[in-house]
Amino acid sequence: MENARREDDMIIPSQSSLQSIFGGPAEVVDYSNDADSDNYQHEPHSPPDLKATSATLGDQSVAPFLARHVPEQYGALGPQNKGLMELSGADSRYCYRHRPDRKCRRQADEPTMDKLQRELETLPQSDQQGIAHVWSLFSAAPAKHRKLLLQGIMAQCCFPQLSFISATVRDLIRIDFIAALPPEISFKILCYLDTTSLCKAAQVSRRWRALADDDVVWHRMCEQHIHRKCKKCGWGLPLLDRKRLRESKREIELRATNWDISGPSAGTPDTCNADTDAAAVVPANPANPAKRKPDSSEEQFTLVKRHCSSLAPAPGLGNDDAYFKTRYRPWKEVYKDRFKVGTNWKYGRCSIKVFKGHTNGVMCLQFEDNILATGSYDATIKIWDTETGQELRTLRGHESGIRCLQFDDTKLISGSMDRTVKVWNWRTGECISTYTGHRGGIIGLHFDATILASASVDKTVKIWNFEDKSTCLLRGHTDWVNAVRVDSTSRTVFSASDDCTVRLWDLDSKTCIRTFHGHVGQVQQVIPLPREFEFEEHDAECENDNVSTISGDIEPASLQATLGLESNSVMSQSSPFGPAFADGRPAPPRYIVTSALDSTIRLWETSTGRCLRTFFGHLEGVWALAADTLRIVSGAEDRMVKIWDPRTGKCERTFTGHSGPVTCMGLGDSRFATGSEDCEVRMYSFQS
Amino acid sequence: MSATMLTFESNDGVQITIARDVAERSVLIKNMLEDLGDTVEAIPIPNVNEAVLRKVIEWCEHHKGDPPSTGDDDDSRRKTTDIDEWDQKFMQVDQEMLFEIILAANYLDIKGLLDVGCKTVANMIKGKSPEEIRKTFNIQNDFTPEEEDQIRRENEWAEDR
Repeated sequence: MENARREDDMIIPSQSSLQSIFGGPAEVVDYSNDADSDNYQHEPHSPPDLKATSATLGDQSVAPFLARHVPEQYGALGPQNKGLMELSGADSRYCYRHRPDRKCRRQADEPTMDKLQRELETLPQSDQQGIAHVWSLFSAAPAKHRKLLLQGIMAQCCFPQLSFISATVRDLIRIDFIAALPPEISFKILCYLDTTSLCKAAQVSRRWRALADDDVVWHRMCEQHIHRKCKKCGWGLPLLDRKRLRESKREIELRATNWDISGPSAGTPDTCNADTDAAAVVPANPANPAKRKPDSSEEQFTLVKRHCSSLAPAPGLGNDDAYFKTRYRPWKEVYKDRFKVGTNWKYGRCSIKVFKGHTNGVMCLQFEDNILATGSYDATIKIWDTETGQELRTLRGHESGIRCLQFDDTKLISGSMDRTVKVWNWRTGECISTYTGHRGGIIGLHFDATILASASVDKTVKIWNFEDKSTCLLRGHTDWVNAVRVDSTSRTVFSASDDCTVRLWDLDSKTCIRTFHGHVGQVQQVIPLPREFEFEEHDAECENDNVSTISGDIEPASLQATLGLESNSVMSQSSPFGPAFADGRPAPPRYIVTSALDSTIRLWETSTGRCLRTFFGHLEGVWALAADTLRIVSGAEDRMVKIWDPRTGKCERTFTGHSGPVTCMGLGDSRFATGSEDCEVRMYSFQS
Repeated sequence: MSATMLTFESNDGVQITIARDVAERSVLIKNMLEDLGDTVEAIPIPNVNEAVLRKVIEWCEHHKGDPPSTGDDDDSRRKTTDIDEWDQKFMQVDQEMLFEIILAANYLDIKGLLDVGCKTVANMIKGKSPEEIRKTFNIQNDFTPEEEDQIRRENEWAEDR
């Protein structure tokens, strides 16, 4: 008889075994809504298969206990009780966290229950009854009683048993925060994650994926890279995306507050992605199916686009422009593209294009979008298409080698050893005008807004003002001036010279306001870093041997600042750049990098004239230099190109390939180009 | 004349009396006091039980001297999940308590505490594989093997290599 009953127990399905061992549905049973719990009250609390076990004991004390508590909680018919329920918001039989209207509930853990069942069955019949009795009591008890019961049990436990409880409990209390919390808070948590963790989170479950892939999160991720380019992943956002980012901010905020799982989860996983598109186009109600329609076509468009760009080996920014104007992509896609570029830089994965055509050394270059302009000792300037690698046209007119050039949308300006500056229409190849004014070859030039500066073999820098047609000469260098950089915001100019110094000039007073000493070779390049570049003081090397001096009649306060002796009161009043900058005039760029034939690159702080860092690694003179907030790239007589981290000073990568000294370079978001005396230009693209 | 001590009642009926400046770390309570004026009655906190309420008050006591939060999402720049030492210790609780603290901080509108709570959860997710995350939070994998594979491939780009 007993054996037969046990066999019965063995073959009952696990769900009812859950019920049987606790003499009623356990707390773990899922109450998805009130209707369910109503059903539950009609179910017998002692399932038939358990009756034999609990019959004797149970009927005596458990049944009254159950009768007292259970009908009270679920007797929804009684008007008095109904009022009570409405007051408390839910039944109090369960701990309030496990109320049916709350999302947080423990999931049924069937393997554990099966194990309990089996262990129970190893005990003698009477023991089984006793244990089942205690469990039934607990199961039927309201929250307050349960707490008392637990306290009573724990009070009797010895330390090993308490330790068992504590270990078990730690394992039992595991909550799916992201699914259980309101979406707004889940988004907040996800926004604290790094890229890799966020992508792992998207793989956890459907609910997690819907949240972790959402535009709310990735919009924020992209936003963080506007203010400050991320040091870790190393990318910045292209301008068009930045604009879109600002424009869609409000929509995204609304989306975060009104987010509803019914939107994203309604679709199959395949269309989940399309749903995330909705933020950009459909801000109001992501759950509205009618409005979601356009998204799927957009997703298709994205796929088509992706397909296209994989066919084109080096897609330029120009292509994407039109694309962004017409269609939006989910922010995760935008982020992904830039992230890939970042890791490609990091690991040196790139495609290389070689531009051949010049018949003498290439001395200068610049690229924008798909246009590359190069100037050579063969006295010509060539315009190339970076997409196709084709030479578009050759600008002829200079009588001698071309040492410098710069172009924008409308014009190209070149400087030559023939002592002239020429202005060209680079789209047609026509030379618009020729300027003379230096008594030696022109080896450096730079224009910003309406100011052009030219640097010459004649040891001077000449300033040409396009607006009022005025010119002026900056004298002070004692040897060739190799490079100039205009900063029209602060109305200043930097110049680098063979006299081993770099100078900072005030365009208002036409005087040199700072000289940077430290290089022990001819300084070839000077590049101001973008204003958003941040350098942490503790990164600086201790170098006291490179103290710069100030020319002209600068007040002592600034001189003290230069020497690092900040004399508190005076300093706080005046600008380190002198009285001309005291009354709110924008200061010059805070940091510059320079390269010289002493094989080094240096990073300087302009306000103090301090050299913050020296970059060692090139074997011979460094002719070429370019930099942005993320990296410095340099090319040298030793034919090598190096990429440096400006903050740590570490050389991240070295590229070889040119068969002659590297003389010039250009740097963009996802690529750089180098020109060499070997007559070739190489372009390295890190676009994936 | 405003009361310096206030009494609150948790949802399980326990009354706790605390200093007004501590209570005003909660924007909800601060606004409520401004609307209500002085009150001598116990203020009910319907969504928070005693244990959680005591924990929240402990946090507010420790942080009562903090400058008021600047409100705006100034933390878009500060993505860091660094948590100061005291808060880290404070957050060494089981997941249930952490969950409750986050809900309470959200309900009572205590931004600093909500931030710390969210960061704590973020740190529990960081650097884990999807399977490890599921284990940490006891989550069922509801993807089919095919879906799982596809989603893994979709997210491969974020592996830093």
